[in-house]
Amino acid sequence: MYHNSSQKKFWTFDKEATLEQMRYEANTTFRSKILTSGKPGVNESIFLDPREEKVLFRHYEKRLLDFCTIFKPAMPKSVVGTACMYFRRFYMNNSLMEYHPRIIMLTCAYLACKTDEFNVSSGQFVGNLQESSAGQERVLEQILEYELLLIQQLNFHLVVHTPYRPMEGFLIDLKTRYPLLENPEMLRKSADDFLNRAAMTDAGLLFSPSQIALTAVLNSAARAGLNMETYLTECMGLKDDKETLSKMYDSMRRITSLIKEYEMPKQEEVNVCKQKLDRIHAEFVTNTNLKRKRGYEDDDHVVKKPLVTEEAEWTDEDLEFL
Amino acid sequence: MDQYSILGRIGEGAHGIVFKAKHIETGETVALKKVALRKLEDGIPNQALREIKALQEIEDNQYVVKLKDVFPHGTGFVLVFEYMLSDLSEVIRNSQNPLTESQVKGYMMMLLKGVAFCHENSIMHRDLKPANLLISSTGHLKIADFGLARLFSNEGDRLYSHQVATRWYRAPELLYGARKYDEGVDLWAVGCIFGELLNNSPLFPGENDIEQLCCVLRVLGTPNQRVWPEITELPDYNKITFKENPPIPLEEIVPDTSPQAVDLLKKFLVYPSKQRISAKEALLHPYFFTDPLPAHHSELPIPQRGGKYSRQRIQPPHEFSVDRPLEESLVDPSLLQWHT
Repeated sequence: MYHNSSQKKFWTFDKEATLEQMRYEANTTFRSKILTSGKPGVNESIFLDPREEKVLFRHYEKRLLDFCTIFKPAMPKSVVGTACMYFRRFYMNNSLMEYHPRIIMLTCAYLACKTDEFNVSSGQFVGNLQESSAGQERVLEQILEYELLLIQQLNFHLVVHTPYRPMEGFLIDLKTRYPLLENPEMLRKSADDFLNRAAMTDAGLLFSPSQIALTAVLNSAARAGLNMETYLTECMGLKDDKETLSKMYDSMRRITSLIKEYEMPKQEEVNVCKQKLDRIHAEFVTNTNLKRKRGYEDDDHVVKKPLVTEEAEWTDEDLEFL
Repeated sequence: MDQYSILGRIGEGAHGIVFKAKHIETGETVALKKVALRKLEDGIPNQALREIKALQEIEDNQYVVKLKDVFPHGTGFVLVFEYMLSDLSEVIRNSQNPLTESQVKGYMMMLLKGVAFCHENSIMHRDLKPANLLISSTGHLKIADFGLARLFSNEGDRLYSHQVATRWYRAPELLYGARKYDEGVDLWAVGCIFGELLNNSPLFPGENDIEQLCCVLRVLGTPNQRVWPEITELPDYNKITFKENPPIPLEEIVPDTSPQAVDLLKKFLVYPSKQRISAKEALLHPYFFTDPLPAHHSELPIPQRGGKYSRQRIQPPHEFSVDRPLEESLVDPSLLQWHT
């Protein structure tokens, strides 16, 4: 249930400014960490600013969605929604400069498959990358390395409530209790589309899944030239509760504007930012703490194995699965 | 990890060792379940993820073991649970005399409250058995080991694995290979546990999957479409046929048991999952309201780990709240229809 979920308690924020502030802080924290590290050749100009981070975030988020869309076997929507939400939550508190989104996005998708009970083996999962089998193995090794970091950064809150189920609920409700609408199924396509676009915004961090779903349904109706106000006033019994009704309209307006404001970043801009990001990762970030330390220090039955030697880093080009 | 000092080993689970430990700051004794990730080609095991998922999403309940914390450690992570002294399988094994009727009622009531809570929160446990019902030092029973737990939804098309639940407690639809099932699998297991408490020995102790089905069929009779319409849709229905065999009255299976106990047991052990009595409804069965009444937790045996009873019991303070709204203690009349 959403109302007593970790999502409501820990991952639903009051306003967009709060989210922006958190991202800004993640960006600043990383900068000051590198600036104070005393490494040569560091100056402010090499870093991504919060706006540039957003450009890259959107770029990789789109790639994540594309990866999930063409995934074989077909990935249920709730898995895709969960993966996107993991990706968003992860970068609430971390800078893209710290952890490369290229591997985080795949780790999010991999973890979502498991937590949402979409059972694919690890081999099957990386089999979806257009890669040599050696390349796939390398990616898998990295995914497994980052998996623990990911669930830790998600604060072990693994259940994500997506708007897809509430939307089904609204459609059923319309069919059974709202005879004014002849064929509620006709709303599905455009509502679905709305939810897919909502997944690429902060809507899921600001509103409940059912609010987003209801907005999708009403939006779809409006597009078809239908006014469904009586559904809210009569079926939901909000006729005399002007306050709730106006709050609800306000939320719906905010959700809709989040989606309208969304802009796909331009390719040139992405390229510039990517160069910066890759340079930062090459020069300043060594996530050595992530290299799997084999075995517990205090488990004497574990045979200590030597650390694996540094693998060749793979690049975005290895990921050209589209 | 430096917040805890290890006191000893409790046991070994499928994915790691369970330690008894002390939280240094508070002095509280806890159980640490370590999930190691080395050499696992699929990364963090599903069982560990399910356990975290189920326990993070539900609020505290007296009859469900509490996940106090999760933190990363070395190559894996550690789940911190409240420490529990023993489990129901040990209670059954170590009791020289069968449990009294009042004690059985006490355990059943706590078990049903825990199951009702899980089901209300859309969680099916899928592996209820005496060994997963832990007993605290105050005699409380708490459901543990959510490694197989699933959040259920009526999404329709998602298939579940039928290789869940320990064999003796596995519902007949699972034995027939069902891939779509519901909370009823837990209610079947509750029935098996109930029978085991009454008899002091397992109800259906099959040695293998086929024999398990034989055990169940011997008692409940060979199922047919009349008593169990959905049976023909189960994957393994046509793979095995059994000789026509009438059911044995449960009174003969659990002799020396009160008629009310047998009546409640019958309501759990039915073939169609949907016809099994829900945990919430079962709690209102006359069984729990007739003499002898359910034992208070302080009247229940407290075995020590590894046998031996301890007579020492710490009496927890009994809390009453005068502020609790009266309607919370009222019963929904629709739940009583089963018992009229």
